[in-house]
Amino acid sequence: MQVELRHVSKTFRQNGRTIEVLQDINLTVREGEFVCLLGPSGCGKSTIINLIAGLESSDQGEVFVGGTPVTGPDPSRVVVFQDAALFPWLTVQGNVEFGLRMAGVGPAERHARALEYLKLVHLSKFVHAYPHQLSGGMKQRVAIARALVLQPAVLLLDEPFAALDAQTRAVLQNELLEIWELARPTILFVTHNVREATGLADRVYVISSRPGRIRDTQTIAVPRPRHADDPVLQAHQYKILGILGEEVEKVFQEELGETVHFPEARHEASSEQARGMHI
Amino acid sequence: MIRNVFRTLFPKGYSFLRPEALVLFVIVWEAAAWLWPSWPSLLHKVLPALERDFTDPTFVQAVVGSARRMSIGYVWVMLVGISGGMLLGRLPIVDQLLGSFAVAIHAIPGAAWVPLSIVWFGMTERAVIFTVLLGAAGIVMVETDTGIREVPPLIGRAARTLGARGLNYFWFIVVPAAIPKIVGGLRLAWAFGWRALMAGELLTSVNGLGQRLNQVAKAQQLDQLLALMLLIAAIGIVVDGMIFKRLEYEVRVRWGLV
Repeated sequence: MQVELRHVSKTFRQNGRTIEVLQDINLTVREGEFVCLLGPSGCGKSTIINLIAGLESSDQGEVFVGGTPVTGPDPSRVVVFQDAALFPWLTVQGNVEFGLRMAGVGPAERHARALEYLKLVHLSKFVHAYPHQLSGGMKQRVAIARALVLQPAVLLLDEPFAALDAQTRAVLQNELLEIWELARPTILFVTHNVREATGLADRVYVISSRPGRIRDTQTIAVPRPRHADDPVLQAHQYKILGILGEEVEKVFQEELGETVHFPEARHEASSEQARGMHI
Repeated sequence: MIRNVFRTLFPKGYSFLRPEALVLFVIVWEAAAWLWPSWPSLLHKVLPALERDFTDPTFVQAVVGSARRMSIGYVWVMLVGISGGMLLGRLPIVDQLLGSFAVAIHAIPGAAWVPLSIVWFGMTERAVIFTVLLGAAGIVMVETDTGIREVPPLIGRAARTLGARGLNYFWFIVVPAAIPKIVGGLRLAWAFGWRALMAGELLTSVNGLGQRLNQVAKAQQLDQLLALMLLIAAIGIVVDGMIFKRLEYEVRVRWGLV
């Protein structure tokens, strides 16, 4: 389903100061599109996810999914959080079945569907394990299976792989793309990793911080499977890094009161930097 | 060899009684007995007195009686404490009207409830059980209430996006999330309840360990008295260690709190 934000603004009050987390955000994600929200920490990307999920409401503007305004959370818009957020008292199977149980699906069908998706994330051998027995990568796989088993129209991921090591991240990115091909939900994927964004998304929204605004949109018209050393990808990354460099400098300035200069952001990029390795 | 027995009975991770501690205890006790002749020796006077007690049928009856009263009282504590705590945590109106009462009940020590129990139920078993209930239910209520209120925010958000709402949300998310706190409360309640039981039995004429304490003190039998106290303490330690401490640990591990 299509996701649309129209003139969305949100402010937080903290210690008497008003912080504009999001300022006049306008974005449209077409049905079945894979979009990344990219930006430095604290720029409101998670807030956008929460708004679409219905966990928070905007102060101004509206959020539409499939043409209808968002009023609250719903299993058609599931979120995968950075910290898996699995229910520790349930087994892997119990976790994946949870949404189906809430929807009133009977036990036999629940079991079958849960197993199907656990196979997709390559965890069929861990069906009866408890979350505390799993590694970070495995927990995220369960979280993804738990979300996708509901066949949501919109899948929201809030920096899901940020806490994982590079190898696990690469594997899970591929798994996510594979599963996406099957049902093609609309995906909004939040990350601060430029390489991840350009490697996964059809389009990347680059978001500035405080106030959170959309600084740029990059359409990555590179067919999948994509390769890290594709020069088109690297050009996108370079452009994005330029914008982000300015943003990060701004954040440093605000938070630390110091002027920090990222010379690489403005000059000819080294190959390391163009691949986002320095982030 | 003693170590091996201990290892099988109390596997690692939550052993609650090291053999070394027992040995130290015995040594210190015997040293005190040697230094102060009026203090009876553990090995020569106190433990034999306990052995003799166990051949006395009235004594065994007393132990069984105490155990029975404690079990019945504890079941009530669980029922009243957990349901009360859930109501307090979930329904603001209940909290506003009765919240302070729960805390007040919890603040009154078990022993202080005995006179009231006697007034209401006479010098009967029921009075003792009632004392246990009032002495221990408070902590269960308070801990359950806190547990119900403190669902980890991320879990709550994940649950809501997965479609959990209203009563489903309460039974399938809030209550399971509260279990570690509830189990912690049940563990404390056992200790509070055991204390309240002793106080209740001490002051009523019901045939239990508490009342036996009274008898023995009147008869000025120090070795019997100490034997009794050791038994009471041992029961407390063993039940807490083997049942509650272990349960609490396992729960905390699974919930990812350890």
